[in-house]
Amino acid sequence: MSNLNESPRLTGFLANGLPKLLFAVGFAGLGATAILWKQNPTQAAFSYLFSFLVFLSLTIGSLFFVIIQHLTRAGWSVVIRRIPETFAMNAWVMSILFLPIVYAIKTLYPWSHADIVNADHLLLGKQGYLNLKFFLIRAIAFFAIWIGMARYFYKRSTNQDTSGDKQLTLSMQGFSAAAILLFAISVTFAIVDWAMTLTPHWYSTMFGVYFFAGSAVCAFATMSLIALTLRKAGFLTDIIRIDHFHDIAKFLYGINIFWAYVSFSQYFLYWYANIPEETVWFQEHFFGSWNTVAALLALGHFFIPFVVFMSKHARRNLKVQCVVVIWFLMMHVTDLYWLIMPNFSHTGIHVTLTDVTTFFGIGGIYLALFWKRLASKSLIPNKDPRLSESLHHHT
Amino acid sequence: MTNKPFGLLAEYKTPGELLHAAERLRDAGYKQFETYSPFPIHGMDNAMGINDSILGWIVVTCGATGLLSAIALQTWVSTSAYRIVTSGKLLFSFQAFVPVCFELMVLLSGFGAVFGMFFLNGLPQLYHPLFKKPTFRTVTSHGFFVTVESTDPRFSIDDTARFLHETGSTAVEVVEE
Repeated sequence: MSNLNESPRLTGFLANGLPKLLFAVGFAGLGATAILWKQNPTQAAFSYLFSFLVFLSLTIGSLFFVIIQHLTRAGWSVVIRRIPETFAMNAWVMSILFLPIVYAIKTLYPWSHADIVNADHLLLGKQGYLNLKFFLIRAIAFFAIWIGMARYFYKRSTNQDTSGDKQLTLSMQGFSAAAILLFAISVTFAIVDWAMTLTPHWYSTMFGVYFFAGSAVCAFATMSLIALTLRKAGFLTDIIRIDHFHDIAKFLYGINIFWAYVSFSQYFLYWYANIPEETVWFQEHFFGSWNTVAALLALGHFFIPFVVFMSKHARRNLKVQCVVVIWFLMMHVTDLYWLIMPNFSHTGIHVTLTDVTTFFGIGGIYLALFWKRLASKSLIPNKDPRLSESLHHHT
Repeated sequence: MTNKPFGLLAEYKTPGELLHAAERLRDAGYKQFETYSPFPIHGMDNAMGINDSILGWIVVTCGATGLLSAIALQTWVSTSAYRIVTSGKLLFSFQAFVPVCFELMVLLSGFGAVFGMFFLNGLPQLYHPLFKKPTFRTVTSHGFFVTVESTDPRFSIDDTARFLHETGSTAVEVVEE
């Protein structure tokens, strides 16, 4: 508890060796993707979109965590806040990694072909929104919003590390109310643009919330995993304590139930109404072995963690927590895979090499930048006015 | 004073002293004692040697009962007692059952939590011997109290009173039933 005036820094392998290794993995993955892209552009483009959305969801979910902590003036989370703040700062690299999707628009999105649109009454009607120019303008706007908000919180938080200015906390709290609105609108429209319009006839008002809930699960699980890694490496061992892990676990557990609620509601309403233009999406996503994947998600994303993680003793056991958060991450990746890939692989699940290369390519670069940035500043907001509250947090 | 008293009431000045007294009582082997304070004190459960509440198990049992009875009820009604085909769906449509399963699970869990808590706390309790003690009224503003009940096997008015004085109590008095 004597660390109030020191700023703990990341050193050693996690700060130097690991980012280099991850960069190597990332560039190798992206290089391999570039080669494989020529062989089968459609497959590579869908794989890329899937991997992109996995790491976008991590960025989005982390940004959400930062905003909600300021919005609720949370004290407990101060010692772990630097992790999601740093993840959210990766929004800029996501904007660059979006360029291959822009390149592959014609491959991915049927509405980008004039002949398809002209032969389709529904798509003609949607043309005012679904056209190339407006699509790109919106994409620029989304990234501007996310990068802007991530920088707003990160810059103020890290400036406070040296200045200790309490006014910075007040300004972050003030902005957080507007930020959560901007966040909700931008995330909803972004995922509608990038994932829902793969099947441009189909629509769901739950889609944005569904992606957001999954993103939050992903970000909270990753946050716990990073904190566990730091702990294992001997950083912040008496600062991020069991009580903080317990609270992350509770938040994660709750938001996962929310994910289950939202995803079931989306399915349930379409199942009840049974209108062809609405059920077509589920027909695709329940076809063949995709049905097994959907069942696995209901069981593995919701039911198993719901039972395993229900007890306080399980949540406060860091070994159990480690296994559960890795399980959550695997399930989240499966969830996004199930969301995107049936649009390409219509007959059933078919994991290809580009799924792997794009995942490690984007993931390598993304995580390398994360660790580099985490090492560049104090590991905790060490002059935050609520730091003391967080250090003495008990659940 | 022929009746056995309810127990002893001891007052402390600070929450720290109260916590310390609870630890001393726990270590001395007392089981039937209670602490009172105007606000919750962190670590008091541990200091008093109180184990985890079994309330969670009551809630889980009630929730499971709600879930299973909702499944059983709906399966029985829709597949045998009152067979109606609704918009071409199967008689056994688990999708349609989910909302009721959820609601009944939550309802019975809620009942389990509230009434289980009442039961474990011995509520409703319309009378308590401490209500007669004027000194005890400060417990809602600035008083910190311990009661050791006479039902405790280690209880004896003189020894326990001396022990309570030793733990730093400023005033120890007998509470009549």
